[in-house]
Amino acid sequence: MTQSDPIFRLEGVTRRYGNLTALNGIDFVAEDNSYIALLGPSGSGKTSLLRVIAGFEAPDTGRIWFQGRDITDLPAHERGIGFVFQNFALFPHLTIFENVAFGLRNGAIKVPDAEIIDRVRASIDMVGLAGLEDRNPDQISGGQKQRVALARSLVMQPKLVLLDEPLGALDANLRERMQTELRTIRERLDVTFLHVTGSETEALAMGDRVAVLDAGRIVQYDTPDAIYDRPIISDVALFLNRFNLFEGTLKDGRFHGPFGAAPVSSVRANDTDVYAIRYDRTRIFDADSSELPGPALPVRYLASEYLGSSIIFLFETADHKTVEVDHHLSLGEPRNLSVGQNYILSWDPAQAIVFGKEAAQ
Amino acid sequence: MESKILKPILAVYVGLFILFLYGPFIVLSILSFQQGPEGGPQFPIIEWSTYWYQHLFGLTPPSRIAPLPVGEALVRSLTLAFMTMVTATVLGVMAAQAFRKRFRGAGVVFYLIVLGMMVPGVLTGLGTSLLANNVVGIERHWWSTAFLAHVVYTFPFAFLVMLAILNRFDGSVEEASWSLGVSPITTFRKVTFPLIFPGVLSAMLFAFTLSFDEFPRTLFASGRDQTLPLAIYGTFSVEIHPNIFAFGVMTTLFSFALLAVYGILMGLSVRRAKKMAMQEDIA
Amino acid sequence: MSAAIGKRQKATTFQLLAPGVVWMILFLVAPIMMIVYVSFWTQTTFAINSTLTLDSWRNFFASEAYVGALWTTIRLWLIVLTLTFIIGYPAALYVGLMVKSKTVATVLLVLCVIPFWTSFLIRVLAWRPMLGKEGAINIILQKVGLIDTPIEVLLFSELSVIIGMTQIYVVFMVGPIAFMLGRIDRNIIEAARDLGAGFGRIFWKIIFPLSLPGVVVGAIFVSVMVLGEFATSGALSGRKVNLLGNIIVTQVGSLKWAMASVVGVILTILLGIVVAGFLRIVDLKREI
Repeated sequence: MTQSDPIFRLEGVTRRYGNLTALNGIDFVAEDNSYIALLGPSGSGKTSLLRVIAGFEAPDTGRIWFQGRDITDLPAHERGIGFVFQNFALFPHLTIFENVAFGLRNGAIKVPDAEIIDRVRASIDMVGLAGLEDRNPDQISGGQKQRVALARSLVMQPKLVLLDEPLGALDANLRERMQTELRTIRERLDVTFLHVTGSETEALAMGDRVAVLDAGRIVQYDTPDAIYDRPIISDVALFLNRFNLFEGTLKDGRFHGPFGAAPVSSVRANDTDVYAIRYDRTRIFDADSSELPGPALPVRYLASEYLGSSIIFLFETADHKTVEVDHHLSLGEPRNLSVGQNYILSWDPAQAIVFGKEAAQ
Repeated sequence: MESKILKPILAVYVGLFILFLYGPFIVLSILSFQQGPEGGPQFPIIEWSTYWYQHLFGLTPPSRIAPLPVGEALVRSLTLAFMTMVTATVLGVMAAQAFRKRFRGAGVVFYLIVLGMMVPGVLTGLGTSLLANNVVGIERHWWSTAFLAHVVYTFPFAFLVMLAILNRFDGSVEEASWSLGVSPITTFRKVTFPLIFPGVLSAMLFAFTLSFDEFPRTLFASGRDQTLPLAIYGTFSVEIHPNIFAFGVMTTLFSFALLAVYGILMGLSVRRAKKMAMQEDIA
Repeated sequence: MSAAIGKRQKATTFQLLAPGVVWMILFLVAPIMMIVYVSFWTQTTFAINSTLTLDSWRNFFASEAYVGALWTTIRLWLIVLTLTFIIGYPAALYVGLMVKSKTVATVLLVLCVIPFWTSFLIRVLAWRPMLGKEGAINIILQKVGLIDTPIEVLLFSELSVIIGMTQIYVVFMVGPIAFMLGRIDRNIIEAARDLGAGFGRIFWKIIFPLSLPGVVVGAIFVSVMVLGEFATSGALSGRKVNLLGNIIVTQVGSLKWAMASVVGVILTILLGIVVAGFLRIVDLKREI
């Protein structure tokens, strides 16, 4: 493998299950060691993609390269790619130590016993489970099982580890802690993690770069900031759960939506006309305000949600769509709103993102 | 609610039903304690005695009643059942493993295998002896022709048991093993097989039991030397004595002991299977 | 499918299935075809040769006894099938549906299986002292006062064969039906009750249809065993009841292989029709 070979590369990968196309001609290049998050709603094909890279399933068309080698025809056990399962998949009939040692003991290359013991101990230490080696999988907690699964894969020193919703089975508290640990471990070991998740907060928090998967295609691959600021199509914006989205018509440089007409400076190509403004860029005004920064959207106040560092205010438009305003508490005290009262939401039109059928202007 | 009336009625019904099932066994157990050697295999009980049990083991003074010709037959039946059990289970595990993936012609293969349990022993036995006599030109023996027919009969049962077990088996541990660089064959040895072992044990027990008591196929395909059921059948046409009932009770107790051993082995393996199930629950 | 991986998978599947499939073809399919073939062979007094002829077939249909055996077999099969169903279904209903604890259900099923540990032939024999004039049933009925003179027809008649077969094979009905009933989600029944359905409705519209695959499997098991029967009829009917199975055995006994094969073919056809008919009702492969 030369210096310039990407860690892995997919070309034209398609995978169908009967009438359902899970992967639709995926092209993807992962340049160097990093933490890659693969984000997509359920049914987007993200688990299929992982399984195809791992070799548990074969693509209908397309090729897969790993470290410069074409591995499309290689069986899973010859690929040298680690996999961490959502349900952990620990071997129930073996102790924790033997679980982690399994690959070393039963692989194609004979590893001397002393080396096995050393490497397994080191791996178990690294995930913080020292002392639990002799327990059985049914005697440890979910979070600990996840670490065992991780240690088991990492002890084989793979260059790429695939993680299939690894934090999905953990409770919220544990999930946050594991997120930090996963990043730390990866950085220490100089290995690429491809982490699949359906949670946009998780993907944006963990990935050095995020690949957004939608209906079997990778629609955007960028840093979390870039995706968050500049979603490439309205579906990505929808999925990120950070944007208020409005349907309407784009005509002559103006977008006509439930807030009236708003001026539009640039348009991204999209299947439909969609107007997007971030929750935290939408601001609340009294119903009779005259000094508005931009378009005026009449709404009725419903309720608020306290999220720790910010408050989400929920409003309802005239046609019963929900609109959210995210007020970060560092910006000052939130307003006191009365339930059922009418208000007006407005924003700086320059901060809006407009998607349109005709990428005009 | 209707089930308040229905449930007790059905409960009583099931009680009677079980009595119905045990009728013959109860009768033959009672009659096995018939007085001997004059007492016959019918009511009334002339006098209670353990004569016929002693007669089974050759512990009684010689009488005009010949002992049951079971000694060698019993050994043959055990051997045959053991051979059948091993062969049928191996074939069943292999076939069930193949059915985990979809493949063309799966339906045909499935029914071909299941056909083995749907063809009555009379026909299999007849066909096998015809083939042996007229086409292949070999003699019929319990360890050759009868063995082949026994496996034909028991392989489908072992297959269906393993199919059900593998259906519920979560394959992610196998995939985990592959991802660690372990070949599929080693994975089967070290991961799959230990976890499906309770099922394999069931299949083995099933196959053994079916072969041990098998009668029609063996009648035709067995040749000169008899298995146990054939020896018993041989006594049908001769006079019947309560010793056959004593024998029935003894073999039932033997089966009971066998099942106890099986239960213990299962208990040890079920613990492992439970751990497996717990992993499924979390996912 | 990547070509190499697809080919490798096919090879594995082939290797796993080949021994079993070959075994079945050689030792099941070939024997059956042999029976068909030999049914057309010429029968001399104690031997057969492969000159083809329809003689044995003609003899079969010309003989009242043989054709009678065919009808007897069909009649007995229908009666025993119906009886095992009627007797077995309520028991399966209780074990599969009404027993809440899985341990109790398993215990009950094991209880049903235990009688099978006694050799089939010995159990058949045990019916004689049960059904005879001085048999257990007559003794009990007389003691209880239900009858004055012993019922004679219980033994050495068609009835005794029916009773014997029903008792021995009813468990094969109960097992599959109880299994299917046990798989019914209780919540469906609860929901139906909440919607106001009475037990009759619930049974016919929900419970029975869902148990149908089990009924079919049970019916197939019982049919296969009854149609191939000869030991029970031999032991309990005093030679009065002649089933197709009995004819095969006696013909083979006198080395009349060709006639035995004819009867074998007829039995096979009968069985094929029955099983194919049952399988039309339910697609079994889906249920596994």
